[in-house]
Amino acid sequence: MPRIMFRNTHKKRSPIRNSGESQSNTSADDCITRSVHASVASIVRLLNAPDDLVTRFICGAEGTPPCAIVCIAGLADLKMINDHIVTSIQQAYSAINCSEPITGQELYRRLDKQFLSVQKYKTTRSLDEILVSLLSGDTALLIDDLDQVLLIGSKKWTGRSVEEPETEALVRGPREGFNESIETNVILLRRTIRDPKLRFDPYRIGERGKKELIIAYIDSIVHPALVQEVKRRVESIDIDDAPESGMIEQLIQDSFLTPFPLILHTERPDKAASAILQGKVVILLEGTPFALIMPTTFETLMQSPEDYYERWLIGSLIRILRYTAVFVSLTFPSLYIALVSFHQGLIPSKLAFSIAAAREGVPFPAVIEAFLMELTLELLREAGIRLPKPVGQTIGIVGGLVIGEAAVQAGIVSPIMVIVVAVTAMSSFAIPAYSAGIAFRILRFIIMIAASMFGLYGIILIHIMICIHLSRLNSFGIPYLTPLAPSYYRDWRDMFIRAPLMMLSKRPQYMATKDDSKMGSREGGT
Amino acid sequence: MKSFKYGDQEIDSYEVFASVANMVLGFGVLSLPRSIIQKTNSVDGWISILIGGVGAIFFTWIVAKLISRFPKRNLYDIGRSVIGRPLAFLITLMFAVYMLAFVAFETRGVASISRLYLFDRTPIEIVCLVFLLVLIYGVSGPSVALFRLNTLFLPIVIMLIFVLLLMNISHFDIHNLMPFFVTDWRELLITSKESAFSFLGFEILLFYNMILTKPKQAVKASTLGVLVSLVLYLLVFFFSVGVFGPEVTASTLYPTEELAKQVEAPGGFFERFESIFFSVWVLTLYNSAVMALDVSLSAIEAVFSKVKRTALAIGVGPILYLAMMQPQNINEIQLFGDWISYAGIGMGMIVPTLLLLLSMLRGVKGRA
Repeated sequence: MPRIMFRNTHKKRSPIRNSGESQSNTSADDCITRSVHASVASIVRLLNAPDDLVTRFICGAEGTPPCAIVCIAGLADLKMINDHIVTSIQQAYSAINCSEPITGQELYRRLDKQFLSVQKYKTTRSLDEILVSLLSGDTALLIDDLDQVLLIGSKKWTGRSVEEPETEALVRGPREGFNESIETNVILLRRTIRDPKLRFDPYRIGERGKKELIIAYIDSIVHPALVQEVKRRVESIDIDDAPESGMIEQLIQDSFLTPFPLILHTERPDKAASAILQGKVVILLEGTPFALIMPTTFETLMQSPEDYYERWLIGSLIRILRYTAVFVSLTFPSLYIALVSFHQGLIPSKLAFSIAAAREGVPFPAVIEAFLMELTLELLREAGIRLPKPVGQTIGIVGGLVIGEAAVQAGIVSPIMVIVVAVTAMSSFAIPAYSAGIAFRILRFIIMIAASMFGLYGIILIHIMICIHLSRLNSFGIPYLTPLAPSYYRDWRDMFIRAPLMMLSKRPQYMATKDDSKMGSREGGT
Repeated sequence: MKSFKYGDQEIDSYEVFASVANMVLGFGVLSLPRSIIQKTNSVDGWISILIGGVGAIFFTWIVAKLISRFPKRNLYDIGRSVIGRPLAFLITLMFAVYMLAFVAFETRGVASISRLYLFDRTPIEIVCLVFLLVLIYGVSGPSVALFRLNTLFLPIVIMLIFVLLLMNISHFDIHNLMPFFVTDWRELLITSKESAFSFLGFEILLFYNMILTKPKQAVKASTLGVLVSLVLYLLVFFFSVGVFGPEVTASTLYPTEELAKQVEAPGGFFERFESIFFSVWVLTLYNSAVMALDVSLSAIEAVFSKVKRTALAIGVGPILYLAMMQPQNINEIQLFGDWISYAGIGMGMIVPTLLLLLSMLRGVKGRA
């Protein structure tokens, strides 16, 4: 029996909270009545008769039960409702023999079996469910003398088409990205993985937002305890609305006292699909193109789908380059501070002379110099995101001038410092996971402070603290530094290097999947 | 094939191996060549190191035997069932004090070396204080994280030693090693006591029995850990003597650091390798200090079961700080180190042996 140890306990939502929240939602009319007029009236009353609420009664000959269609214009596809729902009801009515009256149950049976030409619908009695469905764009079909309501899927609103993901562009790889529609995202995943065991478990998130959230995994691969734990945490979310999966991420991650991302996000269906195939769980949220991948370990922050699409040699080299980039982006400015202000002896003498000459006119100590430049760079970054695209370029040029030429000529910083800042910035953009880049940005400043006080000694001590912190972290029960510590040697083939595909025939060992092999060895072949 | 457990809070044999190796290596590598050469005056000291190492492996085996006889029990529990509560109480507390003293010594060592090779103006009080704060941060979490830290750092540390030795090959002079087999065997035996001090560190197992997945494998893993340290010690010893000759080695405080000083990076990429060597060596020193502090806190927790770990770590801090500030000069630090070594022989070798013998005589065994 796997033990589950998680530090934060997600509290169950107390049922009392809901009572008295909305004046109209009382327990007396939680269910619909048999009278279609009364039911429609209560729906209209609960929504306070908005302009875009469409109600339409359809009657047949004498003695047949009347029907009503309720939907919200703009969210629902009115053409589809007219062409399919209304028409089929009218057909059903005209097919009824006038002489013998029929019950609502019978009409429902006939509609269901014979006439209704829509792809998906479900029945319910709960008013709450009807309202949520209406507000998500479905159409409610009420039949007199029937104690159920048919909820017919008729969502249609304009959204983005499937476009190339902007934050995770690749040279080689599919150009498709997730978009804001959860249906599209599910389809994108389904089109990649055609496994009958691929599961999409739906949830509603948000007391008011009622966003659809889907937990996706492959039943025959994933460790059951992982899915259980993800579901437990998702169920415990109690929030008005979750506009972005980033909020879900913050609510269900293992620790909030860490700069490191414990859940990875992606816009790429291929990345999400490969995570699912590794035995991980993916969460999709309505209204955002960012899917969440969990659990996440440190090594996955350094992986890009392209590593696998290109041949292994370049994949491995680039991965090593990324680890170097992490090191550089973390420590380069602080090494500069430490070397210049504490350990001048470590710099080769010729370089030391040229650094000293360059710093001749600079009035500040190295720390101030480094902080000035790093802050300018962060400012430039933030401003670049904010500005509209045409203006953005201007900022690039102006900022480049500020941190480059002008600052040096004005004697505020030394040219060496400009190089340090530039290399640091480049390295920090070489890290594939954006959220990981943020972590390193924060830590860079902490290390700079330590270096300004204790030189190399401070840098090493901070690194020790970061390592301790990393080895304490867990993501959904999996230690963050897996497979390095605790060690899973088999998974090392896909950590610092990306071994040839033939050697990666197993799923990650640390995921403890039900089905271990992903290629080759299945039928005893190679 | 090990099966994965969600939320795994236990340690396996590689983690035991790395931790014992780190713990043993710690400070010893830096000063061992001197302390041996001072006694033997010739390269024959390697025999003493070998004897010390083999002895250490024997006692590691004893410790491992003892803990595998009492699965999931720590020293206090073992002591209680073998020699009764009062004596166990006393031994555990002594163990805690010994480990605390070790931490103080190690921290002080870091400070004094950093004074020599890293920065000469920063006061050692501050250097010690910062190190202590990071130590407290380290022990305020779960012990498993520290074991993982060891597995992260050990490869770096071993690699560093090999880089150091490789870079010194050109300075190695075989004539410095001669003459050999000139030292009296009695002297070698006495000197081996000196090296035995450097091999202490395996006794941490007495308190991590609780989180070992397979105590049986711990025997092999910890023996291997000591063995690796033995090999590294021997290599470093031969190199220091080979490069500097016996006389110079005997008179330098930290011969290994001096070896680093000899290194010239090809292409003049950087100078003063010894600063870099020491900076990275801080990883090992930190590891052994933090493990020792963690063990001593575990020992105190075992005796007084109601104390909270973080509070304890912060409470122990000032006492430690005072203790590490006591020695006034190098000689006093040496003396401090000697005391700790005697305590280590008592706590790490004699006590486990007695406990094992007694438990075997009285037929006491622990239940899982």
